[in-house]
Amino acid sequence: MRLRLERRLEQRWWHTVIAPVGAVLAALVVGAVFLAIEGFSPVTVYRELFKASFTSAFGITDSLAIATPLVVTGLAAAVAFRMNLFNIGAEGQLYAGAIGGAWAGLALGPHLPGPLAVAAVLAASVVGGLVWALPVAVFKAWFGTSEIITSLMLTFVALYLMRFLIFGSKSYWRDPAATNFPQGRKIAEAAELPPFGTYRTGWGLVVVIVVAVAVWALIRFTSAGFDMNVVGTSPEAARYAGISTARVVLMGLLLSGALGGLAGGIEVAGRAHALDPNGLELGLGFAGIVVAALARYNSFAILLVAAFLGGLRNAGVALQTLPGERVPVEVSLMLQGAILLFAIGAEIFVRHRLRLVRSGIGPAAGVAT
Amino acid sequence: MNDGAFVALLAASVVAGVPIALAALGELLAERSGVLNLGVEGMMLIGAVVAFQVGNSSGSLWLSLVVGALAGGALALVHAVLTVTLRASQIVSGLSLTIFGTGLATFVGKSIEGLPLATDFRAVAWGPLADLPVVGPVLFEQDPIVYATVVLAVAITWYLRRTRAGLSLRSVGESPATADSMGIAVARLRYLHVVIGGVLAGAAGAYLVLGQVPSWSQDGTTSGLGWIALALVVFASWEPMRVLLGAFLFGFSRQLNFYLQAKGVDVPAELLSMLPYLLTIAVLVVWGSRDLRRRVGAPAALGLPYVRDER
Repeated sequence: MRLRLERRLEQRWWHTVIAPVGAVLAALVVGAVFLAIEGFSPVTVYRELFKASFTSAFGITDSLAIATPLVVTGLAAAVAFRMNLFNIGAEGQLYAGAIGGAWAGLALGPHLPGPLAVAAVLAASVVGGLVWALPVAVFKAWFGTSEIITSLMLTFVALYLMRFLIFGSKSYWRDPAATNFPQGRKIAEAAELPPFGTYRTGWGLVVVIVVAVAVWALIRFTSAGFDMNVVGTSPEAARYAGISTARVVLMGLLLSGALGGLAGGIEVAGRAHALDPNGLELGLGFAGIVVAALARYNSFAILLVAAFLGGLRNAGVALQTLPGERVPVEVSLMLQGAILLFAIGAEIFVRHRLRLVRSGIGPAAGVAT
Repeated sequence: MNDGAFVALLAASVVAGVPIALAALGELLAERSGVLNLGVEGMMLIGAVVAFQVGNSSGSLWLSLVVGALAGGALALVHAVLTVTLRASQIVSGLSLTIFGTGLATFVGKSIEGLPLATDFRAVAWGPLADLPVVGPVLFEQDPIVYATVVLAVAITWYLRRTRAGLSLRSVGESPATADSMGIAVARLRYLHVVIGGVLAGAAGAYLVLGQVPSWSQDGTTSGLGWIALALVVFASWEPMRVLLGAFLFGFSRQLNFYLQAKGVDVPAELLSMLPYLLTIAVLVVWGSRDLRRRVGAPAALGLPYVRDER
């Protein structure tokens, strides 16, 4: 007797729902094991985690505030990954976008009325992301250089560039008044994305929802989106159809980079209000890959998954202040990784099922090995 | 060229190159079997934190190294199950492995952050050879893991080129369908080499705390070395000896930072830190281009899951 994987003859809608939900549950169980090993009570931690993020109005809006940049980095990963272009450098594109956005907030912000100043920050951040994705796109499209490595290496370059601008030099971005603890100069108030009343989330959330719909529409209704779909699903078909693969690859990676940069602009305008390495190095770009994969690259699912992961991250912060049990913030990072591992493992069961078969029978014995 | 600081720089470059070389040699084996594993950074972090914990409580260097390596292997096993058996995307799986490994290592390592480790690998002097100028301290006064890494690179070269098992491995990476029809157990070989890759990445992480800086910090311990190891495999066109050479080159570029600072050369540390990453991109663009890649020997089936019956 052995287990073998075979294709499901019929696929039901709930197969696509049960896989991610099961993955989350399984990850929570694994997380519980590690929590128990480290001497924490899993029940308490999970209860507090849920309470901190998903029950009160402040909890929910705090979660949404963290979800806001995750939507855009999730979209950045999704548009590229669905074309089998693995831009894993949204993290660096976010930093580059933040550098561009903060420049616009400092230089143009004081001279422009509110909405225009915000628009300038966001536009400059998109340019920053584009600049950072350009070498990745060009080298991939023209020389076939692996975008995985180049986008990742450029992430480190962006990280050190940002640190250099604030910690290593007296740059335009650095606050001249802060000498002992270097920090970024505050952007003009007009260039900030206003919050909703006293809540931590604000207009940035509206911006990212609009962007999510726009990306969906772009892929669904435009000929550029159609080309991207064809190249993604079947490069062969694209070649026969006369679609220039190089052009579409260039377009896909640049779009992905622009979105990564926009995430940096939204962080600068909405939350950090300065080029602040300590406040920006949160791994939002890498987490976007998790968001995209869990959402199976679907724009609307990305909104939901980002809200869920935003809650998980927010809870990680909230758990720090829990009296008695000081649970490290990293527990939420561990849970994210575990959820992702289970989710991609469960992916196959959407279209396949496990069956117990007697060994030696049928042509496919050994497939499950 | 003959001043003490420069010789110390060269000697330190060798030590700095060892973890990169170990991790990259492991990744090379996995990739030769056709499985890309982007989880190197995560496996190194787990190896480092576990080795530190074991070293702290047992005081035994070799035990710490072995357990740290096995922890890396255990994480790699998850990747093997996901990509070989469950046919998940190797890229997404590897990235999740790094995210999970980073989170788990930081969580587990929270209580030991900043603590010193009492024990570490000491350099062994080769008698009179160690007294030779320049080559003495660089080649003949290093710790045992340095020499083990060199031996390992030679052994892997021999394994790939001269043994029947190495031939099977290469065939699985080039054309799993052909290998399968020859009766080679494709899945078993992939599992084996992915796990060995993880063991070596774990050992690389363990060496970081046991042989380089005897303390643990999430940011400082690996600082992206796992990603450099990944790039190095391509840089070295999947050849073990070139991996070794490249690793020492990368080690040099990382150590140059400290050397220039000591010499009073006023280059901001952040800009120097960019060098290895920019170097990798430059090399990839020249070396890793599509036409060249066929000549330099990327395994043809790299990144592709193998399923026997379904088309």
